[in-house]
Amino acid sequence: MEANGQVKTTAVKGTDTAREVRALVKKIYSAAHEAKAEGRKVAYIMVASQYDEIIRAMDIVPLPTENYAGLCAAKRDMDRFLLKAEADGYSQVLCSYARIGLGFDSMRKELGHIPDGSPDGGMPVPDMMLGSSAVCDPRFKWFQATSRYLAAPTFGIDVVAPPPQADLSEVRDYYIKYQRDQLQALVVFLEKQTGKKLDKERLWEAIRLGDRAWQLWYDIDRLRVAVPCPMPSQDHFSIMVAGHYYTGTQIAVDFYQKLYDEVKYKVDHKIGVVAEEKNRILYGGGLPPWHTLWIFNYFESFGAVFVIENVYRGFDPVEVPSHVKDPIDYLAWRAFLRFTRYHDQARARSGNPTVEKLLDMIEDYKIDGVVFHACRSCRATTIGQTHMKNELGKYSDLPMMQLVSDMVDLRDYSEAQWKAQISAFIEALAARNRQ
Amino acid sequence: MPFAGIDIGSTMTKVVIVDEKEKMLASHIGPTGAEHRHLALKVTEETISRTGLRFDDLDFIVATGYGRINVPFADKQITEITCHARGIRALFPGAKIIIDIGGQDSKGIKLDAEGKVANFVMNDKCAAGTGRFLEVIAETLGINLVDMGEIGMKADGFVQISNMCTVFAEHEVTSRLAEGAGVAEIVAGLHEAIAGRVVNMTRHLGIEKDVIVTGGGAKNAGLVLAIAGKVGFDVLVPPEPFITGALGAALVGKDFYGRGVRPAGERKFEEVKFFS
Amino acid sequence: MTALQNIEEIYENRGGRARELRDAGKKVIGYFCCFVPDEIITAFDMIPYRIQGSQSDPIDEADAFLEPMACPFARSCFNMALKGEYDFLDGFVAPHSCDTIERMYHIWNSNKPSPFNHMINVPHMMGPSSDAFYKKELQYFIVRLEEFSGKKLEADKLRDAVNLYNRRRALLRELYELRRENPPRVSGTEITKVLVAGMGIPAIEHIELVLAFIEEVKQRPQPKPDGLPRIFLWGNEIDDIAFIKLVEECGAHVIMDDLCTGSRFFWEDVGQTDDPLDGITRRYLCTHCPRSLEPQAGNRKEDLENRFGYMKDFISRWQAGGAIFYIVRYCDTCELEGPDLREYLNSLNVPVLMIEDDYSTSTMGQLRTRIQAFLEMIG
Repeated sequence: MEANGQVKTTAVKGTDTAREVRALVKKIYSAAHEAKAEGRKVAYIMVASQYDEIIRAMDIVPLPTENYAGLCAAKRDMDRFLLKAEADGYSQVLCSYARIGLGFDSMRKELGHIPDGSPDGGMPVPDMMLGSSAVCDPRFKWFQATSRYLAAPTFGIDVVAPPPQADLSEVRDYYIKYQRDQLQALVVFLEKQTGKKLDKERLWEAIRLGDRAWQLWYDIDRLRVAVPCPMPSQDHFSIMVAGHYYTGTQIAVDFYQKLYDEVKYKVDHKIGVVAEEKNRILYGGGLPPWHTLWIFNYFESFGAVFVIENVYRGFDPVEVPSHVKDPIDYLAWRAFLRFTRYHDQARARSGNPTVEKLLDMIEDYKIDGVVFHACRSCRATTIGQTHMKNELGKYSDLPMMQLVSDMVDLRDYSEAQWKAQISAFIEALAARNRQ
Repeated sequence: MPFAGIDIGSTMTKVVIVDEKEKMLASHIGPTGAEHRHLALKVTEETISRTGLRFDDLDFIVATGYGRINVPFADKQITEITCHARGIRALFPGAKIIIDIGGQDSKGIKLDAEGKVANFVMNDKCAAGTGRFLEVIAETLGINLVDMGEIGMKADGFVQISNMCTVFAEHEVTSRLAEGAGVAEIVAGLHEAIAGRVVNMTRHLGIEKDVIVTGGGAKNAGLVLAIAGKVGFDVLVPPEPFITGALGAALVGKDFYGRGVRPAGERKFEEVKFFS
Repeated sequence: MTALQNIEEIYENRGGRARELRDAGKKVIGYFCCFVPDEIITAFDMIPYRIQGSQSDPIDEADAFLEPMACPFARSCFNMALKGEYDFLDGFVAPHSCDTIERMYHIWNSNKPSPFNHMINVPHMMGPSSDAFYKKELQYFIVRLEEFSGKKLEADKLRDAVNLYNRRRALLRELYELRRENPPRVSGTEITKVLVAGMGIPAIEHIELVLAFIEEVKQRPQPKPDGLPRIFLWGNEIDDIAFIKLVEECGAHVIMDDLCTGSRFFWEDVGQTDDPLDGITRRYLCTHCPRSLEPQAGNRKEDLENRFGYMKDFISRWQAGGAIFYIVRYCDTCELEGPDLREYLNSLNVPVLMIEDDYSTSTMGQLRTRIQAFLEMIG
């Protein structure tokens, strides 16, 4: 049952609102170029660092270097940057986002200008670089290495989460205090770089917008429990741009409101991604294959739709206690609550918060199968997938599959191998349908 | 005064004998078998016989290549990196960068002003960028390895081969064939891919003129052309790229001898018995 | 039996002494990396045991739990655990050293739990608030150990443990001083055995061994000058002699290191502070590892000096003629640090060979050409 040949197109049955993301992406880089031209500060940043709203409140224009790597891959223009970093001595197993970023910065330095034809006009030289230990190790280490190519002041903060076994009542206070101290140190650094004080009212406003956007995003994902699925994973991988790269802005809120309305309409009118939804798939984890996103359409050609994902919308909305009156305290509290959202549940069952989250998704979204994507150069999102599969297998008998390639490095991808694996997976789903 | 260099590569064993004026007296190439010592002996014997010399006449013997430790009658074991540098320096006094594409690995070597090794890089332990990679794909395509250069040069453009993992690349080549791509264009694509990988690795050393391509891969004119394309200027190829390592080994032996180093102990040049 | 033979026996039969002690009623606490203070475990009268992998055994069973793109050292350790080789541990402690070790905690804890399991969060940033946080984490670790042991931690015992380990640190530094001789009377291979043997026995016993070994080395005759290159090693986990032996066989003396299985874990003393935990906190947070981020200091040149300046002394006093980096593959922070450190060492005119390895003796032979060519180049 080979699919028809026309699978290499983008999703035609996704949402219209998601199509507006392309312009949002372009605007990230054009805004940075404009800011540079006008003498406003531009910073290399790592999204989801729990500091995102502070950047906005201080009028610093964020340049998400990881996103740029993904963009290069989606445009299939990553090889020259990867190769440059490797020629500079970086290992081929190092995080490929970092390799693209380092390669890009190295080329820009060597040429004295942005490499010709860089996707979306490339990234200008930043005024500062802000790393963080949230999510993975390269995110705090990468900018230190980048200082080889550019002289911008660099700052990093810790973002900490307790293990699920910790007694939260014992550790809560000092985790939050440390998070607060780290964020406060960043504020001091930014005040020095920008020459102006943080306006706490503006920070509250950015937080309010950030929370609103993430609430809407959560609500949209909740709508996706509907059968047939109104919005596929392909859309998820674009619409996350608003939540991550426009955190703390009205743009993100407006975008998600519009998307919410559209998805709601589709649910109300039972408009699904595919005409005949045979199976509902959970994207169990791992960064997406930016180089080959059409692979999701390939699944759909068999009637299998990816309906929800365990990546990018990393946290559900949380309620910070009302006694928290300072916005930095609020961010520290929010981070702690976000990270420990599934801890109690984990202690009561599997011992693992991510497993709990996936089990909830399997139930709520009526999932028929789970697919993971292991990225050869991403430790943080890959290590633990097999473990996750093993743990899920204790509570569920769904077919599960792990595809292997990389988030951007095409040299780690084999189309033939994937298609063979996907066929077997689809057969397993079909067998399950027959039961 | 004759000096011998023995280069035991993964597929070929090469022997060169030079005199004190660095003139090549004889050279010979034979296949490397599973039993290195045995073949080293045979190829060396054959080479000596061409000079009219006897084994005892050899003043210094240097073994190189990945099988160098298995030559019981060598006076010294020196890596192919040092030997290639020495051999190439004798052939091309202006050499700055050497790209050696062997059967099992590939290397980039940077020479300093005196022609000594200033730095080097080696490919990782996978077949990508090596003769073995080309061999595997030649089999998939049903063509002879020796014809690949010619075939690739007849291509009209090339097919992008992005996978450098040999197994993945085999899949990729099969898919491209199924899609109707021409064999010549695929071969040209492979040359592009290997050249890209090897040159990129060498960039770390800082590429400057003259660049010499050597090793078995230098026999493939299409690959050499692709390397020149990546480097951005013409590259040079020794008349007999297979034997530069062995030549260098012989010359390194001569240098040792000149510095007063003498063979230590007795050479075991008797017929080596299998598995003894 | 000579001290070296004693050491070799312990090195070969790792875990043997810990098993004996466990059978005698002692509690053995296993841990990863060098961020878990031995002093605290020892103050509870328990035996700290640094978990090691096995470079000579293939990683087979772990693949059913752990992706192959994970650090092979961690995979090897877990492989041994699956095979029951760490069943003697009463406790398993993982610091949040890096992404892989953090993940290791969950996987190990789910599949091979010990009676006591704990993770210590270690700040990646360095500074006053990081110290305060890490101290809190250590206090929480102490609370958990108190629950587990049913005993309160006595401040005097902690102070004694600090003194004990400082004594061991001083002795190991004394041993390293002997490596400054040219040629040295003690090889890098022997040093590795001494250090690895010490990871699985009580410090007091290790101290006796090191003392005796130092005496033995001092009795050895001074060898004739051999002109061989002197190599400084940088990297992470080398808990097997194979790699260092290979370098020495290729014709070099391995004379100094900055490895987490080498100088990093003992070079600096724990400072004497009113609350011993303050000194411990400071000492362990300052452990050199690319996973810790020094705040940026000045321009690029000054920053490199601030990050790597401590190695200048290692290079000059130990007269290193070249440096070899041994990076266990897939270690992102090492992969990012390596090129920076190479730049720094090259600025000191120290040639560098950067090696990325699979932590396996079966593939190590392939490194021979690279190492030998490097030695020929600098020799």
